Amino acid sequence: MTATKLSISGVGKNFGAVRALDRVDLDIAPGEFVTLIGPSGCGKSTLFNMLAGLLEPDAGGTILLDGKPGKLLGRTAFMPQRDLLLPWRNVLDNALLPCEIEGLPRAETRARAEKMAVDFGLRGFEKHFPQQLSGGMRQRVALMRTFMFERDLMLLDEPFGALDALTRSMMQRWLLDIWARYRRTIIFITHDIDEAIFLADRVVVMSARPGRIKLDRRIELPRPRDAHLLTAPEFTAIKRELLDAVEEESLKSFSA
Amino acid sequence: MNRAVILRGILGAVLLIGAWEFSVRFFALPQWILPPPSGILATAWSGRAALLPAAAMTAYEALSGYAIGAVLGVGLAMLLALAAPLRAVLLPMVVAVNSIPVAAYAPLALLWFGTGALSKIIMVAFIVGFTVFLNALDGLTRVDPAAIALLRSFGAGRLRLLWTLRLPAALPSIATGLRISTVRAMIVTLVTEMLGSQLGLGWTIFQAVLLIDFLQVWAAILVASIISLLFFGVVSAIERRVVFWR
Repeated sequence: MTATKLSISGVGKNFGAVRALDRVDLDIAPGEFVTLIGPSGCGKSTLFNMLAGLLEPDAGGTILLDGKPGKLLGRTAFMPQRDLLLPWRNVLDNALLPCEIEGLPRAETRARAEKMAVDFGLRGFEKHFPQQLSGGMRQRVALMRTFMFERDLMLLDEPFGALDALTRSMMQRWLLDIWARYRRTIIFITHDIDEAIFLADRVVVMSARPGRIKLDRRIELPRPRDAHLLTAPEFTAIKRELLDAVEEESLKSFSA
Repeated sequence: MNRAVILRGILGAVLLIGAWEFSVRFFALPQWILPPPSGILATAWSGRAALLPAAAMTAYEALSGYAIGAVLGVGLAMLLALAAPLRAVLLPMVVAVNSIPVAAYAPLALLWFGTGALSKIIMVAFIVGFTVFLNALDGLTRVDPAAIALLRSFGAGRLRLLWTLRLPAALPSIATGLRISTVRAMIVTLVTEMLGSQLGLGWTIFQAVLLIDFLQVWAAILVASIISLLFFGVVSAIERRVVFWR
């Protein structure tokens, strides 16, 4: 097992005259759950697009996955903000989409998906179409699709951003459960500080544009975590610290 | 479609035909202005031996042209969806050609391909091909960029994107093109037949006008309308089944 799953160094990105991302350095260990938080437009999604291989970093930056450089397209499991379920495919076929693109044997992946559907609370809904599902369920299908694309590094871009508060906190606990069972490395973008702390081994705060890493805070709260943690004193202490950092950056991006 | 909608449609048709029959009789309209529906039906029935072959020919021309045009339209759109530079060069030309009224080409088609079925099939294939092509290309190229990025992140290449994402995403617009095309196919067939042919409902109508036989004109129009409605209805029904998510 290598010490680092992902190693980002000196990665920056310009869009024309706009500097979106400024020299980002970040190392992530295998199996780690890292949440990424920062003001809107700080380049979080740009960073994700580069990690998914959809966008090239500017010259000088390197991204090493498992210690190796090279094309990232198809090597990380990327989940965009919107669920992007295809309306002509039922739940199971949507989840099977990445396997189908990879050309994996159909019967085998189908059996795997049917088993996984139980963990994702989708049992009995395999034949339903996306437009028949609730928001939380659609998001679980999208997550399952990401898990079906068996890559050690998962990039989740605000997966619960569009959900109501109750569904969201349920989904957070559920995701931790799934993560404990499937043991993947996760980078998770969020705008919600509670969510960032509750989920993470590490919270990384990004600065206002041009995005840089402002704070890298290890969260040593015990696992498994439950809803009571949100009101525990050690949680609020971390929250205060992170809030200060995030607010400062939000103000900067507001006045800019 | 539920039964209430169908029933209301039938009721509307019955009322319209009733009002038509009544006013023709009440105002004693001369036949060359408007014959009564009962007279049209009687003429269609007694003249069925001549109307049926004409209807079969018209349907054959319209359907063959439609099928050829649909395949060519979708095929060409898929090809151009893969080749953006070629699309940029060809598309303005295609739009320009398409905006010329189709009846203008009909005499040329007769000159080049004769007064048989071929000239009609080519005319129909031409108009249907354009309609389907433009609709299909629009659907194929107006796919959510985020969905494209997602599939690319799973390792999908251009062909895979076309087959798994672009084509199904374009089905609603392709279906719209196919539905609009049914009526256009019938119109073009009838118009081209009127300009020159040996058999067909358009030709029947044209001949009957020359012979001042207005009941026969209306009988042919009735048969053409039935074919057109059936054609439209079948394609719409298939569309609702295939594009079930719209």
